[in-house]
Amino acid sequence: MEFEPKDQLERELEQSMVRLPAPPGLKRKIMARRQAREAERKHHRVVFWQRLAASVLVCGAAGGAVTWHNVQERRKGEEARQQVMVALRIAGRALDQMNVQLAAHDNGK
Amino acid sequence: MSHEWQPDFEKLVDEHQSMVFSLAYRTTGDRGLAEEIAQDVFLELDRNLGKIESSEHALYWLRRVTMSRSADALRRQRVRGINLWVEMDENHGAQFEPRSSSLSARLEGLLATLPSPQRAALVLRYQEGLTPDEIAAALDSPLATVKSNLQRGLKLLRAKAESHLKEYIRGI
Repeated sequence: MEFEPKDQLERELEQSMVRLPAPPGLKRKIMARRQAREAERKHHRVVFWQRLAASVLVCGAAGGAVTWHNVQERRKGEEARQQVMVALRIAGRALDQMNVQLAAHDNGK
Repeated sequence: MSHEWQPDFEKLVDEHQSMVFSLAYRTTGDRGLAEEIAQDVFLELDRNLGKIESSEHALYWLRRVTMSRSADALRRQRVRGINLWVEMDENHGAQFEPRSSSLSARLEGLLATLPSPQRAALVLRYQEGLTPDEIAAALDSPLATVKSNLQRGLKLLRAKAESHLKEYIRGI
C-alpha cells in the first residue's frame, strides 16, 4: 500500500492524540488545596481583624494616655497658678500692712 | 446574556480535568509537572469564577491558561537547563502503550521532539480539534504565526515519520 503522508499522518495524529485520563486523585487534590486556601484566607481575615482591633486598642490607649497627661499638666499648671496668686495676695497684704505701719510712723514723727 | 450561568466548580473540574491535564502533559512532557499545572489552573479558575460567563467561556479560559502556564513551566525548566522531553522520550512508548497502538505512541513520541511552539499548535489542533483562529486565540499569537507553526510542525513530523516509522507505515 502506498504511503500518503498528509492524510495518513494527520489521521493518525487525530487518533493518537485523544485526551488522556486525568491522574487518579487529581480532583481530590484540587478540592483539598481549594479548601486549604479557603481556610487560610479565613485565617488571614481573622488575623487582619485581630490586628486592626489591637491597633485601634493601642492607638486608643496611647491617645488616652496623652490626653490624661495633658489634663494632669493643665491641672498642675492651674494649681501652680493658684499658689502663685495666693503668694502674691499674701505679699500684697504684707506690703499693705507695711505701708500702713510706715504711714503711722511718718504721722507719729 | 439571556440566561444566568451558574458556575459549579466541582462540575467544571470533573468535565475538564482530562483536557487540562492532557494539554499540560503533552506540552511539558512531565506527568508530575502537568498535574501541578492542572491543579494551579483549576485553583486560578476558582479565583476567577465570577468572571466566567458560560461553559464555553470556561473551556476557552481553561485552554488558554493551561497553555500559558505550560509555556511558563517549560521556560522555567529551560532556564534551569532541564530537558523534560528526554525523560519522556525514553519511557513514552511504555506510558502510552496500554491505550494506543504502537504507531500512535511513537508518533506522539516524535511530536514530543518538535520545537515547543509547533508542538503547542499541533496539540491544540489534533487533541482539541481547534481551528487556526481558535489556536491563535488560545496561544495569544498572531494567526499567521500559528498557521506557519502548524505547517512547519506537520512538515517536520512527516519527515521524522518517514525516516523513523517506515516499518509501521508499511504495515498499514
